[in-house]
This record gives sequence, C-alpha cells and structure tokens, in this order.
Amino acid sequence: MQEQKDRLAGMLPEWLPPGAAIVTLLAIVSSALLAVGASRPTPNEKAMWTFARPHYLMYEPRVEAWNKAAAKDGRALFDLRLLSLPAMERRMMASFLGDVPCADVLEVERRGVSRTFGGPVESVGFYDLTETLKKEGLLEEINAPSFSPWTTRGHIFGLPHDVHPVMLGYRADIVEAAGIDVSTIETWEDFARVLGPLMDTTGDGKPDRFLLNMWETNQDHLELLLLQAGGGFFDEHERPTLDSEINVHVLATITTWLGGPKRIAADAPNFSAVGNKLKADGYVLASFFPDWMGDIWKHEIPSLSGKMKLMPMPAWEKGGKRTSVWGGTMLGIPKTAVQKPGDFDKLWAFCKELYISDQFMRDLYREGGIVTPVKKYWSDPIFDEPNAFFSGQPAGRLYINLAPLVPNRNSSPYNTFAMYRTVDALVKLAEEARRAHEAGEKNAYDLPRLKARAKAFLGEAQKQVEDVLKRNVFLAEVGGAS
Amino acid sequence: MTSLRTTRVLGWIWTRGVLLIAAIFTIIPFLWLIASSFKSNEEFFRSTFLPMDGKRIAWERLTTEPFRRLFTELDFSNSLVNSIFLSSVTGVVATLSCAMGGYALAKFRFKGRGFCTALVLAAVLIPAPLIIAPTYQLLYRLDLLDSFAGLILPALAPAFGVFLFRQAIVSGVPNDLLEAARIDGAGEWRTFATVVLPLVRPMIGTFLMVTFLGMWNNFIAPQVVLQDPSKFPLSVAVAELRRGYYNDYGLQMAGTIISILPVMVLFLVMQKDFVSGLTSGAVKA
Repeated sequence: MQEQKDRLAGMLPEWLPPGAAIVTLLAIVSSALLAVGASRPTPNEKAMWTFARPHYLMYEPRVEAWNKAAAKDGRALFDLRLLSLPAMERRMMASFLGDVPCADVLEVERRGVSRTFGGPVESVGFYDLTETLKKEGLLEEINAPSFSPWTTRGHIFGLPHDVHPVMLGYRADIVEAAGIDVSTIETWEDFARVLGPLMDTTGDGKPDRFLLNMWETNQDHLELLLLQAGGGFFDEHERPTLDSEINVHVLATITTWLGGPKRIAADAPNFSAVGNKLKADGYVLASFFPDWMGDIWKHEIPSLSGKMKLMPMPAWEKGGKRTSVWGGTMLGIPKTAVQKPGDFDKLWAFCKELYISDQFMRDLYREGGIVTPVKKYWSDPIFDEPNAFFSGQPAGRLYINLAPLVPNRNSSPYNTFAMYRTVDALVKLAEEARRAHEAGEKNAYDLPRLKARAKAFLGEAQKQVEDVLKRNVFLAEVGGAS
Repeated sequence: MTSLRTTRVLGWIWTRGVLLIAAIFTIIPFLWLIASSFKSNEEFFRSTFLPMDGKRIAWERLTTEPFRRLFTELDFSNSLVNSIFLSSVTGVVATLSCAMGGYALAKFRFKGRGFCTALVLAAVLIPAPLIIAPTYQLLYRLDLLDSFAGLILPALAPAFGVFLFRQAIVSGVPNDLLEAARIDGAGEWRTFATVVLPLVRPMIGTFLMVTFLGMWNNFIAPQVVLQDPSKFPLSVAVAELRRGYYNDYGLQMAGTIISILPVMVLFLVMQKDFVSGLTSGAVKA
C-alpha cells in the first residue's frame, strides 16, 4: 500500500500533494463535462420568477399556452422560473438597490415586498400600478383588503393574488364523538369553555391534549390574532401602534392560554415533522387555517383526511370579527423591466391573463384551495364543491363568506421588525407569568396584572420601533427623521 | 507490575469508552439522515429511525424513490457536476494565485509593497454580506450574472489566502535558498515552482481543501448570481428542495446525503495534507 502511494507520489510534481492532484483532475474532468453540455436553449424575451412550487406547477401550463398564442400574434414570450423565497428576495433587493434588471415579472410574498418600501415612494423598485388599476376598474373588482399589503403612501405596487381569510381547522372526529356542537362557540371564551373538557382524556385532572395550536414564539399566530382583534403593529398611516390598548388586551389574554390554570394552547409547529406528528396524534385539537393551509395538510398529514372540519375563528367579543388574514402574494413589475414605450403594456397583459382570468381562479382553488380576490368569480359553483379533507364541507364557500371581513394588513418596511419586537414582549410576559406561577403566586395569571405588564413590555417594543423609524429620513410623515 | 497493567487497561477502557459514547452521539444524526432518506413522506412521520412492524424492521417500507427522483426529475447529477466544477476550479486557481500573491508580498521589494499588504489586510476585515449589492451591480455591468465566471472570478484571489501564503513563505522559505536557486540560473517561475511551492506544500493542501469546501458550501453567492436552475450547485439545489408550503423530507435528506458525500470522501483523501498544513509552524524547530 505504502509502495503504491510512493509510486503515485513519484509521478507528481514535488509541490503537489496527492489530494490536490485529485482536485486538479476533478477540475479538468468537470470542465470537460460542462463544456460538452454547454449548449442551452435561447431564453425567451421576458422572464417571470415565482417562489412557490405549487404556484410554479399551476402556472407552467398557462405560461406555455400564453407563449403558444403569443408566438402567433407577436406578443412577448415568457420564461417561468422557480426560486426559493430567500433567493428571490436577495436577488430582488440586490437588483433594486443596484438598479440593475432582474426578472420582468415578480411574484413576491408579503414580507419581501414591504422591504422594498423603505425609501422615497418614487424610488420603490416596482412600477406604480395605481392609475392602471383605477382606469381598468380593478380597484372595485378586487376585494379591497387584498390591496393593503402592496400599498404604501397611497400608491399600489402589486396585483393581488389572494384574500387568505383564516378559519379554525379542528379535529371533527374527536369533537363530534364527544357530542360537542361547535356552532355554539362564538367567542374565544366560549371556545375554551365548550371544548375545555376534551383536554383531560385520562381523568387525572391534567391536560393530555390542548385545544389550540399556538405558542408565544409563533409570530404569524400572534399577528393574525392582533389583526382579528382590530390591533396590529401600525395604523393606516403606517405609524407604530404596538402599545395600543387592543394589543395589550390580546397579549394578556394569549398569555392565559399559554400557561397557568386556564392553559389551552400547545405548540405543534407548522411545516415541520414534529408538528405534523403532534397534529396527527391529536395533541392539539384546532389550528389556524388560512385558505392555503388545507392543501398543505392534505399532502403532509393525509391521515387526517375526513377527520378535520372548518369553523369561523371565535371572536374576541360577541359580534366581533370571526376571521383574520395570514400571508399574501402579489405580482409586480420591476421598473427596470419597463425601458421603452410598450414594455409595460406587454407585461401588464401577461399579469392580468395570469391572475385575473376565470381559468386562473379555478386552478387556484382546485390546486391550492386558495380563494381568488376577484369578487365577480365568488358566485362560481366550484366554491360549493364538497372538500374531502374537511369531511365534505364546501371549504371555498366558507372562506368566501368571510373574505369581505378580512382585516387590512400594513405594508411598513418595519413590519417584520415590529412583529419580532411584539413577539419579544409576549415571550417576556409569558415567561414572567410562568415563573410567578411556579413560585406560588396566586394572581400570576390575573388579567389586570398581565395587562399592566403587557403595557410595559409593549411600551419598550414601541420605543424600539420608533427609534429605528426615526433614522429613516424618507418616512418623516410616519415618524421617520425629518 | 500487575497494578500498573490494570491501571493501563482501565485507562484504555475509559478513553475508548468516552470516545465511543461521543462517537455514538455524533453518528446518531447521520444515521437518522440516512434512514430518513429512504422513506416516503408518510413513513417519515410514522417512524423515527427504521420503520418497525412489531419487533421486526419493515425493510419493505423503505424506498429508493427519493434518490431516483433526485437524479431523474430534479437533475441532481447536473448540480453535482456544477458543484465539482465550481469548487475544484476555484480551489486550484485560487491556491495558485494566492501562493503567487503571497510570494510577491513576502519576498519581493517593490514600490507600494507595504500599501498592498495593508490593502490585503483591510480586505480581510470587510464582511462578505456587505458587498453583495455592489458585487451584483459590478457583475451585471460586466455581463457576468448567471454565469460560473461570476462566481469564480471574485473568489480567485481571496485576501485571506494571499495573507496566509505570505506568512507561510515569510516563515518557511529562507532567502538564502532563493538566492542559491537564482545563482544556479533558475528563472523566477522555476524558483517559484521548484523551491517555493515544495516548501509550502502543507499549506497548498490545506488552502486547497479550505477553498474547495468554502465554494462547495457557498450558498448566498450562487443563490444571488446564478438564475438558471441548470447552473445551480448542490448547495442551492438542496435548499431549493425545501419549500415554504410543502416539504418532501425524504427527498431533502437524500439531497443532503448527495451533497455531503463527495466532500467527506475528499476530506478522507486529503486529511493528512490538511492536518499537516494546520499544524505547520505549531512546533518551533
């Protein structure tokens, strides 16, 4: 063996270690392989990027059909590319900041878009669609709250893809076996009271399962609950409102769900193997279900098909909002893609064909369970079809009934920052209450005490957001530096 | 005598025992990774390691489908070649250019040498994420976006490598030896290739390995620069398997195995050079 090694070493230059020789050989072989396969098809004139595989699979045949028709009548041909969300956001931001082209049409998720709204409104990297939407009557045709995440300082920069109303998905097999009728639940208080007996399955007085899938570290759950209650991180003028009375009330109430004698919530994280196992085992009975979530559960936890049902979210008070909103996607045209007269029209025609057509409405619902924001399609019978995963309920119709009530989302570039500061406040509050409870303090989970502490923690969070906002000279009118 | 032997045996058992436990803890995630890569998504949630049917391992519930899909539907072989190409070419060329740059800074007297050295040191201090946007713009202006050259060129002469070789040459290559070579009639290239490089051989192996691994694991730069999926290296291709909404865990685990296997093999081949490079200079002669 040593002899063989020496012989090999003898064939190589004195300075080249055998490992380095192998790497050099790899460089030569891989270069040759790539050179042989170097010929690639010529790309089409325009490119669209999307970040979600289900969207990509849905759009692929539609883009192909568009290209076939466009080849005949001289319209622009498109290439569709799938990128991971971080990749798309990095490229988009690098392109906008460096003022160099990326794709001609971008499908972007809500948080990625708000990052582009940090500068002067005229410097936003997306083309301003406000006038076009007005002129074509789309402002009336599309559900109004769907524009909110793509609107900054009165200008709209995206064509909405969805509404994303939120319902509660619950384990109907368990709840109905116990003879419970969820239609009697109207508020969160009702929810805890009516379903509470299901938590102790062994009769030892300790919970074996929990009613709600949520945890203090889950920012999406917190945001949707705040929005449902009428709170949130910013007001309609994009001024921070973290320490509002509504937010204080929501944080204090949520804390009582997460620990102490009235605990009803546990963490079964979404998009994770552990969380899916806990959901399949019935460790949590109900989860927040925006319209896009059903399709994910159908693929990830097929064993729950026919065992789940949807119900409107319990309200914060009687007669209150029974829904919220989670997520959001838009189609935008980067300014760098509009270089000469006619460019915008070509791209806009493609955007409308993709998002506003009745065929898209059907594909979007059939393949993703997502309800279109175009109101004229809401009467389509497709939304009344029974959904096997939700035990035969007409899921589309249930979501559409709630669609007009969906709260507005803000588009502040500091939304993510504010959200994490609010999560910090909730984590501190929950942890403090847990410690006090463990130390034997009887009033650890009393609402007035929790509210006072929530006010203090949210006050700190508000100040942090204001301090960051003050540094931004372009957002003077909403509290930025003047 | 017997007591000494007993102490030695106990010491041997103790050392091996501790190492064995540490090895088991280290290897568990890898075993889980391997087991998971042979599972369907449904099976992934049903069993932690191997699927069990009572007390029997249910081998029939394992599947090679994730690997088949990687190489048929998702064209992972292409990403594998891209990764090998990017890492090996960058590794070889960067090692040579850094060795040459380090040699020049260490052994040549020229105007501005101090300034160049300071510049190299200053470049080491700049965090890479800070220059993503300017680099993107520069690559666009040079028409290098979506090309392998856009990734390889900025990595050809890393400041860290130039400085590393400079230090290795300053401490490991005596001036007398260089003068002797020149007196014997060797030109600069010959002196560099036959005198300097053999003396910094351990550093060549180490730096090549570090650069190779750096490019192999490089994620942000390929993700920003490359746009055509057929050019994606494994780091990006594996990340693309993770979807926001729906994850095929078996596929992700199989992709991860494919992406770590080549570098593991390479490390085993080059570990002697790597370790000797790391320890060179550690003991004063």
